[in-house]
Amino acid sequence: MHEELIIGGFGGQGVLFIGRLLAEAAFREGHEVVFMPSYGAEKRGGTVWCHVTISDEEIGSLFITKPTMAIAMNSASLIKLEPMMKPESLLVVNQSLAPQEISRADIQVVSVPANDLAAELGDSSVSNLVALGALLAGRPVVPLASLTTALEGMPAKNKELLQLNKRALEVGYTRAQKDAVPHGRR
Amino acid sequence: MTLDTPELDTVLYHKPEALEDYPFHFCPGCGHGIVFRLIAEVIDELKIKERAVCVASIGCTVTSYHYFNFDGLESAHGRAPAVATAIKRCRPNLVPFTYQGDGDLAAIGTAEIVHACARGENITTIFANNAIYGMTGGQMAPTTLLGMYSTSTPGGRQPSRAGYPIRVCEMLSTLDGPAYVARVSVHNPAAVRKAKQAIKLAFRAQLANLGMSLVEVLSPCPTNWRVEPVKAMDWLVEHLLPQYPLGEYKVIPAVADLKKESRRA
Amino acid sequence: MPKKILMAGNIAIAEGAILAGCQAYFGYPITPQNELLEHMAKRMPEEGRVFVQTESELAAISMLYGAAAAGCRAMTSTSSPGFSLQQEGISYMAGAELPAVLVNVMRGGPGLGNIGGAQGDYFQATKGGGHGDYRLINLAPASAQEMMDLTMLAFELADKYRNPVVLLTDGFLGQAMEPVIIRQPVTELPDKPWAITGAAGRPKNVINSFEMEPANFQPRVSLLLQKFERIKQNEVRYQGIHLDDASLVIVAYGSASRSALTALKMARQKGLRVGLLRPITLFPFPYQILADLAQKVSDFLVAELSSGQFIEDVKLAVGLDKRVELASQYGGVPLAPETILETIERMSKVTIGR
Ligand SMILES: Cc1ncc(C[n+]2csc(CCOP(=O)(O)OP(=O)(O)O)c2C)c(N)n1
Ligand code: SF4
Ligand SMILES: [Mg+2]
Repeated sequence: MHEELIIGGFGGQGVLFIGRLLAEAAFREGHEVVFMPSYGAEKRGGTVWCHVTISDEEIGSLFITKPTMAIAMNSASLIKLEPMMKPESLLVVNQSLAPQEISRADIQVVSVPANDLAAELGDSSVSNLVALGALLAGRPVVPLASLTTALEGMPAKNKELLQLNKRALEVGYTRAQKDAVPHGRR
Repeated sequence: MTLDTPELDTVLYHKPEALEDYPFHFCPGCGHGIVFRLIAEVIDELKIKERAVCVASIGCTVTSYHYFNFDGLESAHGRAPAVATAIKRCRPNLVPFTYQGDGDLAAIGTAEIVHACARGENITTIFANNAIYGMTGGQMAPTTLLGMYSTSTPGGRQPSRAGYPIRVCEMLSTLDGPAYVARVSVHNPAAVRKAKQAIKLAFRAQLANLGMSLVEVLSPCPTNWRVEPVKAMDWLVEHLLPQYPLGEYKVIPAVADLKKESRRA
Repeated sequence: MPKKILMAGNIAIAEGAILAGCQAYFGYPITPQNELLEHMAKRMPEEGRVFVQTESELAAISMLYGAAAAGCRAMTSTSSPGFSLQQEGISYMAGAELPAVLVNVMRGGPGLGNIGGAQGDYFQATKGGGHGDYRLINLAPASAQEMMDLTMLAFELADKYRNPVVLLTDGFLGQAMEPVIIRQPVTELPDKPWAITGAAGRPKNVINSFEMEPANFQPRVSLLLQKFERIKQNEVRYQGIHLDDASLVIVAYGSASRSALTALKMARQKGLRVGLLRPITLFPFPYQILADLAQKVSDFLVAELSSGQFIEDVKLAVGLDKRVELASQYGGVPLAPETILETIERMSKVTIGR
């Protein structure tokens, strides 16, 4: 296996958290991983990025230029990500904040209204985990169960939040499996 | 009853000329923006835009020169008073001022500010004290309060390991060089008005060749204090004011005369 | 089983220092090395060791001088502008033969530059940097694991040669998280009879770098130079990948070598016989290894995150009759494997046409 994932979104959307979480899970599954966050002043206001490479070989570049997977948490990151995607790659789009049409026909797109689904769970701040769940449904890089295990190892404020995070992962996963709306054709 | 409406062409409030049409990039609720506006108003009122020079320091205000509509330059971390010294000595007609954070002025730049004051350089320093290293992400500053959390004092600042906060105005006012040293704050409109008066007096002291003038402004950093903007103002009042009392710490007689003059005017 | 965990490079350096028996740490905040200082702020007191957040990098280097003189294993960490500030103190330490570890998590320069990763301090770090005739041992990690391992080695080499050692890395490696095997802690620290420990039961010790009479100072410098020769003889370290059948060799260190590895794999898939030579020590530089390679390879490609600094040493090693080209980024911008691959392809085409 060799997957290269870029996640993009606003500061505060938990972009780094889900990147780190997936990296932890993949690491526990025995893969080589690199988690490369954007850092410093970028964190304030603008778009936040992270790059996660998961492989069964020694990983070279710390950066990803042609992702095989991506999550666009907002419209600004979708605009940047769409043209970067490798053919046949998987693009997960947070439809709630990135409703625009996607023109590329050579990539697989999974759209989930991550913020709306998270709000239904009672807290729109877990939209990141909904999106990560959807990614996993589109491409099972790690088993869902190993993500939930990794979640338990991450710093969390309290038990309720941990449960909520798990629920959000599952909701995203099931939604993407069952009835992911083909993007731009709603 | 009729309402007293101002004539439509009466301008009540406008962006100071000395400010560039350039958005501040500070976090919501940051104090730096308020202080910048005050400086710009003062420069407008004193009509010194053509002579003013902003010597930026290193911190969240590193790009100060983008916001002001007059000459400005970067200086290495902590060295702004030395840069301003040279500008004033080489071109005495200019009105250089430094804008420095607490890390910049009271840690890495302690030597430069002390010696600019000791020499009584005829420059002005606006010193924004937010008790934290803002730009680098919230490490302990020399002004961080005892017990206060920072990313490099994870259990709160402990004097046994990290020493005590520095009171800059108190310390510098023991020197003979400075003409005017004052501490102000921007936590409410009344405080902001007083802050502006102090900043104006500082610039007037320089214009009257009276020597070094320094205004410390207590300024909120909601991001690194980890509180919401409005709460940050309360936090400032509750925690910073007791440690850093407001007031004038040094006013030489000639500056006192300037003050009287403006009261008469 | 040793513990293996995901760790950012900056944290791996901090933990590596603690494992190596670092007794004192001094630092001043600067991005992109802040996590290192912040981690030390927590861990050093936990271990009952010394942590000081200094008022500047100038203070940090002088505290390092003091700690090293007192015979303690000690470290400071900074990023480019702070490293520049430290040069005077570093020269004093080299002159006084004080062992210590200096970490430079390089960022985009010159000047204030930016917080992106870069390798623009190559000349400064590897050629001395401060005033006078001296060299620093330079170690260049290329992964989070090496951030830990080479930090530990840095302490060893510093003590072995009584010389400051630089861990020369960059913001990208500092931030990237990768699996790291936690090494065994060093339990026995070397004796330092020369150290300032109090003249009780022994003649007094003096640490300085000063001789009034030039004729007396010269022999001291000669001894330093002899030491640097011994280091050149004994401490060259590098990694070679696919060098056996390579017709083109990429030379790269640190995070640039990571991009180069990906470029190498892409080139190999296209049937191009590409190898990679990755210096692990930048001083001592693997001149001889490269010179030997140049006996059978005539095409070299240097990949660096600076605008042609590292390439000068490669040219010196392989000779002016070899073709040495540059694929670089600078000013804090990462180097994409594709950029290196393009240069490989261009060089390969021209070679065939020749
Ligand atoms: C020589 C050097 N060391 C460290 C830094 C990193 N640095 C940038 S800003 C800053 C501190 C800023 O804090 P402060 O002066 O309080 O300003 P604030 O951001 O809080 O307004 C530091 C340490 C640098 N740029 N140069
Ligand atoms: S980090 Fe603090 S000082 Fe810097 S811009 Fe934000 S609020 Fe202002
Ligand atoms: Mg500050």
